[in-house]
Formats: sequence, structure tokens, C-alpha cells
Amino acid sequence: MPFIQFIRWQDVVDILLNSYILFRLYVLFRGTYVFRVLTGIAFLWIFQRISAYFGLILTSWVMQGITAVLALIIIIVFRNEIRSVLQAKNLKAILWGFPQQSGPTTIQVIADSVKTLSRRRIGALIVLPAKENLDDVLQGGIPLQGLISKEMITSIFWSDNPVHDGAVIIEGDRISKVGVILPLSYKSDLPSRYATRHRAALGLAETTDALVVVVSEETGNVVVAKDSNIINIHGSTSLIKILKEHMGLHEIEGGYQQKEKFKMGIAAVISFFFITGMWVSFSKGLDTLITLEVPVEYTNRKPDFQIVDASVNTVRLHLGGSGALIRSLQPEQVQVRLDLGHAIIGRNIFSITQDNISLPPGIFLRKVVPSVVEVTLDETIKKEIPVQVDWAGELPAGLILSEINIDPDKVEVIGGKRILEKLSTIYTQKVHLDNLKESGTIFANLALTPASLNIASGSKDKVRIAYVIKPRAK
Amino acid sequence: MKLKYILIVLLCSNLFLAQVLFAQNPRQPESGAVQKKLTLDRAVMCEGITDFAPHNPAVVFSIKIGKVFCYTSFDPVPEKTFIYHKWFHRDSPSTNKRLTLQPPRWATYSTIQLRETDKGPWRIEISDQNGKLLSILRFSITD
Repeated sequence: MPFIQFIRWQDVVDILLNSYILFRLYVLFRGTYVFRVLTGIAFLWIFQRISAYFGLILTSWVMQGITAVLALIIIIVFRNEIRSVLQAKNLKAILWGFPQQSGPTTIQVIADSVKTLSRRRIGALIVLPAKENLDDVLQGGIPLQGLISKEMITSIFWSDNPVHDGAVIIEGDRISKVGVILPLSYKSDLPSRYATRHRAALGLAETTDALVVVVSEETGNVVVAKDSNIINIHGSTSLIKILKEHMGLHEIEGGYQQKEKFKMGIAAVISFFFITGMWVSFSKGLDTLITLEVPVEYTNRKPDFQIVDASVNTVRLHLGGSGALIRSLQPEQVQVRLDLGHAIIGRNIFSITQDNISLPPGIFLRKVVPSVVEVTLDETIKKEIPVQVDWAGELPAGLILSEINIDPDKVEVIGGKRILEKLSTIYTQKVHLDNLKESGTIFANLALTPASLNIASGSKDKVRIAYVIKPRAK
Repeated sequence: MKLKYILIVLLCSNLFLAQVLFAQNPRQPESGAVQKKLTLDRAVMCEGITDFAPHNPAVVFSIKIGKVFCYTSFDPVPEKTFIYHKWFHRDSPSTNKRLTLQPPRWATYSTIQLRETDKGPWRIEISDQNGKLLSILRFSITD
């Protein structure tokens, strides 16, 4: 692809940075509704770009509007989920870490507690939230924030405990709340063996991504409600496995770790390709043309050479590139330089090529006007030249300017040899006579023509004129 | 007879003296020409010439006066010769006047008719017949 050669390091950083941001969004929000909606928005955006590519103006416009509105809606609707992610994790976890809600000890404690409760036929309802915030779904409850232990869990669900009918919420290694009321499932096809506790567990699992462990008071059976499913648990091992999967912990045995790595790798690759596609769409989608008037810089001129004449001072560059790059183009980023290192005294003709033009990456030259520049060089010399006053206006009637004295009457001028050889007088700027009524002194600046001339460092660029005015003889 | 010889001797002496004197007289102007050279006595720009003298010498002239004069006087003028008045308007040659000088001294002038386009700074280079620059006069033509 021709534009590959114009990729700048900024573009690479741009793609990598945004790919990582997308990847992190996936890591933080995967498994939640937020991620599903984000995926939907991404598909809408792709659809919008395809519509735009094929010139479907209305479809493209509608898709663009929906995408923009959805992006806003997602922030409002899923504010709790977003907040919980941002609040629950520190900066390092957001930028770098992978979600791990709890350590193996917590899982083991839960498994042991459930085993004990089951054996003693003590009914229990244990909620393990995932990424979604449950505040909007849960009712009641007493904040506890107690460190998790088998004894604590057993005592909470002890039949004489006032909060034993509610659920406990376990966040990390702590029991954050007890006696919490869960929403009931309205599923009509629940088996009759499932009581209210099971219906509550399923109710929460259906509406959130939380996992709920239920211990039947009547049978001592253990089930886990996750999504819309109820899974029977036979033994601590299967419970531990499910808890680990829910908490995102790597299972030591089995291919869980490998599977997670593979998932992450796939997500990273998809993020990269998706962002690259977006970048190409944004920055390379449409080529734009621009015409710039750029001054020509003459470099490597020998110190004793002077540019007497140049056919042009600026050239017009017809440039092409992506719209985004063209819009961000600064005039100072474009330079036209002509090397006068091999130029000779007299007329020199240069062709302006790509080598003479400096352009930022991604911008390419289509045409230069004019493509040929003529530069006349001369040797720089010094010359002492007499000064003459350039009088203007009219003296008051009856007066004549009979005599003047200029100080200094000569100045040393630096300029091209061919110019100075022809130059025999340096004139002052116009000195007006109209207000001169009697003899006196005035100062006048020197007018150097052509502009390439300069006054030598030892000379003054201003002269003092002493003048004598007399009455006109009849 | 004696008186006759005295008269002859006196006559011969007078002839000899006369010959010597007449022989020396023509050389006097030659030796003077070697010592004296053409010298520019005065050079001025003026509004006119009155009684062989410059009238209202100045360095700035109004275009309304119509003419401007370059007056030069030489003393001595060892022999008949000529000089040049080269007029330049802003470094561009405008006219070159050849003027004859007669010994022993001579005053002469050149003049130009002024036009609207003649406004600006002028200079006149006064040089001898060999092109040797004797003086430069600078002046301006204004409103």
C-alpha cells in the first residue's frame, strides 16, 4: 500500500495506545452488559463507515447519530458498572492488572463453610458479585465488613440468628453485608424442589453477573445460580472450580490458564486490528490536496557571495495527503531549500526537485510551480561612495539654498561587486525644503537602493547636513 | 680714425647683445608653460550668468526657473584647450558638453533646459580634454 511508507512514528504510537485502551476496556468490562453494548456500538460504527464508503448518505448519517447517542447512553445507563470498576480497582489494576476478586483462601473458606452448612442442613444464601454493581437490585441488609471465616458464615446462617434468612454478600475477603433481600425469579418452570431461597438466588443471577451459592435447609443440597442457570454441586471440588472461574482465578490444573491467555491474546489482536482499521479509516480514508506558497531558502552561500537577483522568492507547492494530516499541516513544516554551495558568480539556474523540499511524513509532493529558479550571484565588496542629499519640495519664496555641508560626505557600503561598480552616489531619503527658512542643520537617513546593499559597520547610516539659506538676488 | 674703431666696437657689442637678448626672449613663454597648468578656479551651479559671473549660485533649484547653469572659470589657461561638463541625473548620463578655453584665463558655462522629469538629484563631472576629473558639482532640481 503506497501510504505505508508515509507512516510516522506518531501514527504507530497512536495505534498502539488506542489498541491498548480498547484492550483494557475489554479486560475491565468483559462479561458485563457494558462490554456487549460497546461491541454493538463498534459494529454500528463499522457499518457507518461502510455506508459512507459506498456513498449511502442517509444511512451513514443515521448510523453516525445512533453511534454518538449510544456512546452517551452507555455512560448514563451503565454508570454504576463503570463506577464500580473505577472505584473497586486502583490505578495499577485499571491500567495493567487482570481482575481477580479474591484469593484461593477465600474460595477455600467459602467451600468449607458451604460443606459444613450442608452437612448440618443449615440454609444459606451466599452472593459473590462479579463486575456489576448490585446496589440497584439488592434490598435491605446490614453492613458488616467482617473478615471472612468459616465460623462467621456458619454463625450468620444459624437459625437463631436474626439475619439468617437473608443473603450474605462477599466482596474480596470480607462479608460486606448480611440479611440482604434478593429479587425473586419469575421463572415459572422451576422444579418444585426449589424453594424461595433458590428463587431468590436465581432472581439475582438472572439480572446480574453475580454468582449465588444456595444451601438447602431441607435437603442440605448445594446449588449455584449463575446467569439463568442453576448448577447442582457435588462436593467441594466442583464448587471451588466454579468459584474460581467466577472470580477469574487461574486454575492450577486443567487448561483454564491457557484458555485465559488465549482469550486475552485474541482480544489484544482484535483490538489492534480494530484500531488500525479505525486509524486507516480516519487518517487515510480520503486524500486531500493543498497548495502552499512557500518561501525559498538559499543555503550554503559562500560568505563573499551575494544574491543579487532571484527569479522567485516563493514557490507554489501542490501537496497531497490524508485530510487529517493536511489539516494539521503547519506552514513551517514545509521548507524549500536550494543549495548554493556550487553556485558561481553570475546567473545560476536550479531545478526544484523532491530533494529540495522538506515535507512531514504522510504528505507528498505533486507539483512545484515554478520548477526552475534563476539566481544571480555577485561577489561582495566594500566601496566608499559619496553622499548626496535628495532634496524635495520648494523653498519659501525669495530664498535660495546656496551651500550645504554633509557630514560624513562619504560612506562605506557593502554589496555586490557588479552593483557597486555602477553605483557612484548614495542618496539620502527625501529631505523637504518647505519648512527651511534660515540656515541650520538637519539629519537625514541614507536610502540604500537596491536593498541588497548594506552600510559597513564603521560607517553611519545617517548624515548631518549643515545648510546655508540666503535671500535670492534680483 | 680712433673714433671710427670705437664706434665699430660699440656697434658690434650692441649687435651681440641684441642677438643674445633676442635669442633669449622666445624661450621665456616656453619655460612659463611648463610651470603653469590648467587650473579650475571656480565651479558653481547657478540660476543664470550676468556680466560673465554666476547669478544666484545655489545647490537646489526650482524647476520653475526653467534653466540651470554650470559655471566654471579657469586661471590660468596655458593654451587653448577644452573641457567637458558631464551631466548626470540620478547616476544616469544626461548630456556631455564640450567647452573651449582660451589663454590666459577663461570662464565658461553649460546649461540645460529643465523639464518635469528632471526633478531629483543631479551631478556634473568637470573634466579636462584628457578625461581627468577636475571637480564634481552636486545639486537638486525640486518643485
